[in-house]
Amino acid sequence: MRNIWVIAKNTLKLEIRDKILYGLIVFGILYVFLTLFMADLVLKELPMVKSFGLTGIYFFNALVALFLGTTSFFKDIDRKVAYFVISKPVSRAQFLLGKFLGLCMVLLLTSAILGVAYIGLILYEHGGFDWLGLLAIAMQYLEMVLFIAFAIFVSTFSSSLLSIVYTSAVFFLGHVVSQLVSDAQQIGLGGARLFLVKVLYYIFPNLEKFDARDIAIHAVGMPFAEFGLALAYAAVYVAVLLFAATWIFDKKEM
Amino acid sequence: MVEFSHLTKAYRKRLAVDDFTLSVDVPIFGFLGQNGAGKTTIMKMVVGLLEPTSGTITIDGALSSHPIFKKKLGYMPETPYFYEHMTGMEFMRFCDQLFGNDGADTAHYGELLKRVGIYGASDYQIRTYSKGMRQRLGFAQALVNDPEYLFLDEPLDGLDPIGRREMKEVMRELKKEGRKVFLNTHILADVEEICDEVGIIHEGKLLYAGPVKKFCDGKPLEERFVEVVEAHEREEAPAQKVREVHKPHHHARA
Repeated sequence: MRNIWVIAKNTLKLEIRDKILYGLIVFGILYVFLTLFMADLVLKELPMVKSFGLTGIYFFNALVALFLGTTSFFKDIDRKVAYFVISKPVSRAQFLLGKFLGLCMVLLLTSAILGVAYIGLILYEHGGFDWLGLLAIAMQYLEMVLFIAFAIFVSTFSSSLLSIVYTSAVFFLGHVVSQLVSDAQQIGLGGARLFLVKVLYYIFPNLEKFDARDIAIHAVGMPFAEFGLALAYAAVYVAVLLFAATWIFDKKEM
Repeated sequence: MVEFSHLTKAYRKRLAVDDFTLSVDVPIFGFLGQNGAGKTTIMKMVVGLLEPTSGTITIDGALSSHPIFKKKLGYMPETPYFYEHMTGMEFMRFCDQLFGNDGADTAHYGELLKRVGIYGASDYQIRTYSKGMRQRLGFAQALVNDPEYLFLDEPLDGLDPIGRREMKEVMRELKKEGRKVFLNTHILADVEEICDEVGIIHEGKLLYAGPVKKFCDGKPLEERFVEVVEAHEREEAPAQKVREVHKPHHHARA
């Protein structure tokens, strides 16, 4: 456990020194504040302000997760920096889990920075603390954690470029797969085609479970049950991905 | 004592290390061979970066892959790559923490960096280091856990003449301290100068192991090395021809 923590802290330290990450965070903050001007265009309607803000945070965090998840672990292996770590009393599983935890910490930091900017903006504009907005950001964070676990899993057997392609594809499919099943049932699709759609549904993560933006925008009540379900879903999915990633990485020739 | 017993490493159809058996119990042992001879593969198997296809490596009677053994071992990979945004001192601290230490022994890290001649650059980020400085840092981190056994893969590569002399001096000091040093090199002059014994490796096979003087038999090392390698190739050529003749033909003839 200690080794995992050492590697995680090191990953956090190194990633926050990366200028690309700084760039993304600065653009994210600028976007959140740009919401003020966008809000003027829609007569400062609260739901519109929230929608712009939360979508912006989601977009920038997704970029950060994609960038970190597909490059950080892969680079360590490809550039052989991992040789220094694995030749010491550190198992490959500890190295992989340390990298994962470190990247989750980076993402927590970016979510917190953008979240503070958003909450501050809503407080300034409408004088109230947006608890539901905070919950929506937490749900988005869970989705990004899953996203990072998937990117690391793919990085254990493919190049950085392919990881970007696969992870982006899963990101897209993860958002449409539940809709696909309901559409297939509505139009009466049956037999092998319905089976195929259901296979896709069970293989790919259902990322719609993490979308609480509408609840936050329209203030329809605190969805604790949904949050609990999303948390359990993310935990199981991440555990399976990390287990598979460790299994592959353990057998990888370096 | 380090013992390699019938060690074999196969990559698909190619044998990188072929039934390698050797016992070493001298202060400085050099693996000598051309590029691609199998030296790096052997060293990677010792430190757990690669799994042998068959055979074992034991150190003082215990399997080298055992985690306890890794605490006694220092390893410097060939052409080391680092976390570019770390300083030399931070990298030393990180490496030490991976041995379960708290990373607070700055004086010890400073001593090691002084020993390899880059103390003045210890607070600079590694991305500013020259190739020679990186080699020196790679050497220093291999000493961070006060190892009994050191495995150095091409440690003098990329160093200028003064740097080479300094690093050879450090190796002699390590010998006086009672440590065992294994080094890979294809530079004959270095071997002649610092190694007590050598192992001549060619195409994954051990052609000779023993004192350098005995191997040279009054001739220059370079001349003897070429003689032995060419004699081996002459011996192998007819056997290779026989294997080619008996290779099954897959193309059907009309």
